[in-house]
Amino acid sequence: MGERARFLKQLEEWGAELAKSALSLREPVMEIPARTLGNTVWDERARMLKLGPEKIRRRFLDVKESRRFMQTVLMLSLIVEAMRADVFPTIRDLYYNGKHTIVFKDPLGRVHRENTWDEQAESNGVIEDIEVATNILREEMGVSADVKGKVVGPIVVRSQGYELDASKFGETALSLPVNVDALEIIKVEASYVLVIEKDAIFQRLVREKFWSQENAVLITAKGMPDRATRRFVKRLNEEYKLPVYVLTDGDPYGIYIYSVYKSGSIKLSYESERLATPNAKFLGVAPLDIERYKIPDQFVIKATDRDVKRAQELLKYPWFQNDVWRKELEYFLKSKKKVEIEALSAHGLKYLHDYIKDKIKNNKFID
Amino acid sequence: MAITYAYEALPVAEWFRRNREIAGFQNPARAMYQTVRELVENSFDATEPYGILPNITVSIRPVDEAKGWYSIYVEDNGVGIPGQEIPNVFGRVFYSSKYKIKQHRGVFGLGLKMVVLYAQSTTNRPLLVRSAAVRSDKIYEYRIMIDTTKNEPIIVDMKEYNNKYKWHGTAVKVVIEGNWLNSKKRIEEYLRRTAIISPYSEIYFKGPDMEMVLKRRTIKMPTPPKEGLPHPKSVDVDTVKQMILESKTATLAEFLAKNFDGVGEGLARSFLEWAALDPNRSVGSLTQDEIVLLVEKMKAYEGWRRPRADWLSPAGQELLEVGAKSILGAEAVFAVTRKPSSYSGYPFIVEAAIAWGGQIAPVDKPILLRYANKIPLLYDEGADVARKVVDEFHWDSYKVKFPAPVAVIIHVCSTKIPYASAGKEAIAEIQEIEEEMKLALRDAARKLRIYLSRKEKEMEMLNRYTSLAKYVDEIARDMSIVTGLDREALANSLYKLIENKLGLTAEELAKHVLSMSSSIKEEAEAAP
Repeated sequence: MGERARFLKQLEEWGAELAKSALSLREPVMEIPARTLGNTVWDERARMLKLGPEKIRRRFLDVKESRRFMQTVLMLSLIVEAMRADVFPTIRDLYYNGKHTIVFKDPLGRVHRENTWDEQAESNGVIEDIEVATNILREEMGVSADVKGKVVGPIVVRSQGYELDASKFGETALSLPVNVDALEIIKVEASYVLVIEKDAIFQRLVREKFWSQENAVLITAKGMPDRATRRFVKRLNEEYKLPVYVLTDGDPYGIYIYSVYKSGSIKLSYESERLATPNAKFLGVAPLDIERYKIPDQFVIKATDRDVKRAQELLKYPWFQNDVWRKELEYFLKSKKKVEIEALSAHGLKYLHDYIKDKIKNNKFID
Repeated sequence: MAITYAYEALPVAEWFRRNREIAGFQNPARAMYQTVRELVENSFDATEPYGILPNITVSIRPVDEAKGWYSIYVEDNGVGIPGQEIPNVFGRVFYSSKYKIKQHRGVFGLGLKMVVLYAQSTTNRPLLVRSAAVRSDKIYEYRIMIDTTKNEPIIVDMKEYNNKYKWHGTAVKVVIEGNWLNSKKRIEEYLRRTAIISPYSEIYFKGPDMEMVLKRRTIKMPTPPKEGLPHPKSVDVDTVKQMILESKTATLAEFLAKNFDGVGEGLARSFLEWAALDPNRSVGSLTQDEIVLLVEKMKAYEGWRRPRADWLSPAGQELLEVGAKSILGAEAVFAVTRKPSSYSGYPFIVEAAIAWGGQIAPVDKPILLRYANKIPLLYDEGADVARKVVDEFHWDSYKVKFPAPVAVIIHVCSTKIPYASAGKEAIAEIQEIEEEMKLALRDAARKLRIYLSRKEKEMEMLNRYTSLAKYVDEIARDMSIVTGLDREALANSLYKLIENKLGLTAEELAKHVLSMSSSIKEEAEAAP
């Protein structure tokens, strides 16, 4: 816990800087790197999204910023208190602990009431602000989020002294802990990692023992991945050199989920180095797979305007600038067709297995 | 008091029948309102011009409810009426024409005679008058009726009392057929509006089912009007004939110089030369046609001096503001008294006040309180030029967006108010008056605009202060938790930072805003 004490001290120092500035009647100002699309840069060499140099100055005396300023200081005190008490709150705990009503009587005697924050998105936002401002990750502060990740396959890990073999969970799966870095990987004898967008497909492949036939580790984060799952995938790829393949629905949202695993997200670009897996490959379902694998029309869905907009955005991202992706996305924009992973079952229930095997063995994935 | 009346008797019953409608006695409700009005206005005329702060008591009591008979009692602390004059003042219908002019509420006499005749024609009860002049040793009490065929007072009863406490004033009681339910609102409103324009008066009113005290708000009184001569443009043929009767031997030049305002011998001669009339002709020898010609020429001549306004007594900016603030409960009042102007030889002054906020409820168009010579006008608002001026006014240029809590007071004082109708409840569309009303309203609205924009700025400042200061306690607490520094010191510093930024302290800010809007404070105090 010596690590945590060091981070605590860092946070206290950041708070002290603001407080001292106030006491000497200088306006307290927080310098926070901007977490915006404009301040997200594509690092060509590292092949991931990184935070740019742009910073916002959150000023106490700025009417537009004062509320966020208050929220940031409030969150800082909540985190510092938790670290001092050596407890590990979730971001939802912090939301509830900090939520209360400020009652203020103005010089005219009018009473103003205002909640410190109304929605969790607000308290989550300031946690991320504190992370980027102090360069300390929330995991390092001992603050966790809901964990969604599940793993099955030939991998043995140790958690709080207990050895857990992910191949012995039957039809269930091993849930990833909050801090996957605290998870000791004892043994991995897999040939690759298959990341699956959807829980339903994950469960089917577990039930059908796909992982043992292929000697693969199956992972899902039930949709948009959380930080723990992404971190775990990265560790398997970089520490154990396992190839990582991502299987999603055949639509732009699925492709963006793949992109988050591979390159990082715009909101959390400051964490890419810890979370992104630049070597991850896109297995499918690719837009052109509809033709390649002759998916019958009744399984093809018409794309919505939102899908189209998202695809147009993807085309603009630097990390999609290659011929293969351009061909796939342009085909999507032209045909306006999308499919779910389940559509592959049109050729028989086991066809999904064949599809995955075909993609991997014949290098039909996209980098 | 040196007003001289010239009068002649009229067939009284006939006169009453002819004038009853237009004098406001057409039905019991209106007659009740009119009776109160006439008596109260007489009370004002007996106090204010003599520098006496008016104390007026009005009391209405049912006498016979089945018949709708009520007694109306009005008492004042005015100059009183000498004992021997009382029967004539109340019991004889005068046909008075005054050569001297000044601003007055009513012509002392005419309205009063209508009251007496109305009482007599409905209940046939005598009028009770009790009066003592200033420093009089005695108080005189009469019960009087009018002999309508002879136009003479009938003294039913007369008493004298020792005036031990040197009381002076007049108390009148009449019994009339009235309608309290239908006149109650109007009478209350009339007295309330009277109090607005005469905040130096104290009015106590007791009706059959209510009581109202309109307290004196100031002891400052307007300068009483002076008495003066009429302007040569303002007289008609009949008046000139009456005047000639009093100075038959004077020459035309002498007559003009003696009887008219701003006319000396020199100006009289220039006019007569222009009019091709002989200045040395005696006025007694003028024929009817010549008198008509003279009056026509007098009206047409452009060389007269402008009518003087000394005969006018406006309420003045200060009194209007005091009255409107206290009676309307306004947050702020902006009043303007315009410079004197004239129409057709009559001087007039327009005053306007805009009352804003406070207890005034927001309305879609401004509430209008009209006055003529300090008399509230309650009826025929739609026919009044003031309503037109207020409605056509570009309020939006003065930061007023409706619905807004705004009331407008418009007061016209003149030696002759141009009424739109015989009912004397609405001012006619005289171009000069309309123009002055517009200018008065504009001047007042400019003050309002300055006030509103200042208030806007102060409120904005207060809101800025609030949007920062509301977080101070929370931030100080959190910083104290993180650093262990003193929470109170942190809070003080944060407040200080805000005050430095805004350039004034919270106390100063509160004082500014409070002084501007008492209403907000009340609102805040009412809030839990």
